[in-house]
Amino acid sequence: MPKRSPAERLDQAITALLAAAQPVPAANSNATVARLVPLVRALRALPRAEFKAALKADLQRRISMNEATAPSAAAARPANFRRANFPNIAPYFLVHGAPAFVDFLVAAFEGTERIRVPRPDGSVMHAEVSIGNSVIEMGDANEQYPQRPMNTHLYVPDAHATYARALKAGATEIYAPSDKHPSGDLWGAAKDPFGNTWYIATRKDWSGGPEGFLAVQPYLHLRDAHKMIPFIEAALGAKATGVHKSPDGIVRHATIEIAGATLEIDEAQGDVQPTQSYLHVYVPDADALYAQAVAAGAEGLQAPYTAPYGERSATISDPFGNTWFLATYLGGDQT
Amino acid sequence: MVVRRPAQKPAPPSGDERLLVEAAQADASKFDVLYELHFERVYFFIVSRVHDRTVAEDLTSEVFHKALANLSTYEWRGVPFSAWLYRIASNGIVDHYKRSNREQQLDDLEHPLAHRELSSDDLEFIERHVHFFRLVEQLPEVQRRVVCERFVEDRSIREIAQRLSKTEGAVKQLQFRALQTLRAQIGDRHA
Repeated sequence: MPKRSPAERLDQAITALLAAAQPVPAANSNATVARLVPLVRALRALPRAEFKAALKADLQRRISMNEATAPSAAAARPANFRRANFPNIAPYFLVHGAPAFVDFLVAAFEGTERIRVPRPDGSVMHAEVSIGNSVIEMGDANEQYPQRPMNTHLYVPDAHATYARALKAGATEIYAPSDKHPSGDLWGAAKDPFGNTWYIATRKDWSGGPEGFLAVQPYLHLRDAHKMIPFIEAALGAKATGVHKSPDGIVRHATIEIAGATLEIDEAQGDVQPTQSYLHVYVPDADALYAQAVAAGAEGLQAPYTAPYGERSATISDPFGNTWFLATYLGGDQT
Repeated sequence: MVVRRPAQKPAPPSGDERLLVEAAQADASKFDVLYELHFERVYFFIVSRVHDRTVAEDLTSEVFHKALANLSTYEWRGVPFSAWLYRIASNGIVDHYKRSNREQQLDDLEHPLAHRELSSDDLEFIERHVHFFRLVEQLPEVQRRVVCERFVEDRSIREIAQRLSKTEGAVKQLQFRALQTLRAQIGDRHA
């Protein structure tokens, strides 16, 4: 048997070490190799150069975004860029049968209808229902904006009672509220007659985000959810907080903050398949954010314009197929 | 051709560091300098408490994003800027273990590493690894690449050989020489 070189012996020891994650027996090594093998642990602890470069680029992007949007443009915009009583990113439901959907929200979640704008044919152009301190918006689906099943996280005072009301109003059971959910909250899920999933939860012992404790948060199940975080930070100036990943990098849960309001994302897996949502978010400068989003890779569906209801409005689609209605309130009647 | 990378600058004296922090507070684009100076320290501090690369990267990212976001609130009090970063990192590590416990439905017992105070042993661990990192950075380029691909990116000798258009034997020799060089430069530390 030919004598192995020190390089061969070292690699054999390293391979064994990497495979077994434990020290190789001294008998396998000569003195030279034995002195080198302990370096492996320190080498394994080194940071990835790609990670260091990517983080630096991410920080630079955030700095340039802040510089681009902070000074004069923001000063020219109204401080109150949202309509009154609109604290959250609103899920915008486009359904076949919006009036029935309003009825469901009122019956199931004790919602309060606050606006309904009908079309001449009797269908609903736009309606709003408040639930707790948050708002849900809706309209009748059409060819341009077809019906899509969406997921929404509801925080309610009594998840058991709300869940029971939802079933009574026509929802079907996915799972009843229990305290077995990883979040620690009392948590159940139900599907409404329009195919939307509602996560009905009562929080246990945590506090709300920057706007306080919001009753409604859109919940996006995404394929490759980890890619949404850098995109949404670059495109919409969002900030991912509380990102919880599995050891192999899968996003188990992350909260995304945009202009002080929040939504949630996670990786679509198993029974939970990816969905594409409609989202309405108020931002300090819809024009600037539209340009920023398109530059970051979003598809511009509607360039910014001044809507008759006193808002700058624009629409984009993200790479995951979600549609974002960006708006800046221009002042006036806050009803 | 042998290419040697420039050695990284050591942490500046406190007076210089104060100027660097103030410059970044006045102009955020200068935060890059602080990032380059402290990235490895923060990373190794986290690695000393979190033994998972993905989590360590997430927490490192969180530290620098928070530091950037809160830089205007930082007040120079004569302690190294890195101490502020370590404090941010400590809080992130505690939050991480709390989240992990909640995810695994464990009791509120915290991981023993989460709250451990920064000790002289920790500082020695960090500085030793920063020094080692810089020595790796100064290896001849092809050796550095072999080492990084083998140990950081978990590639096999065969894969590296294909990527570098070399024989597997040649890659093993490069690996051997790299480790010999590193061992000679650090003496018996890391043993």
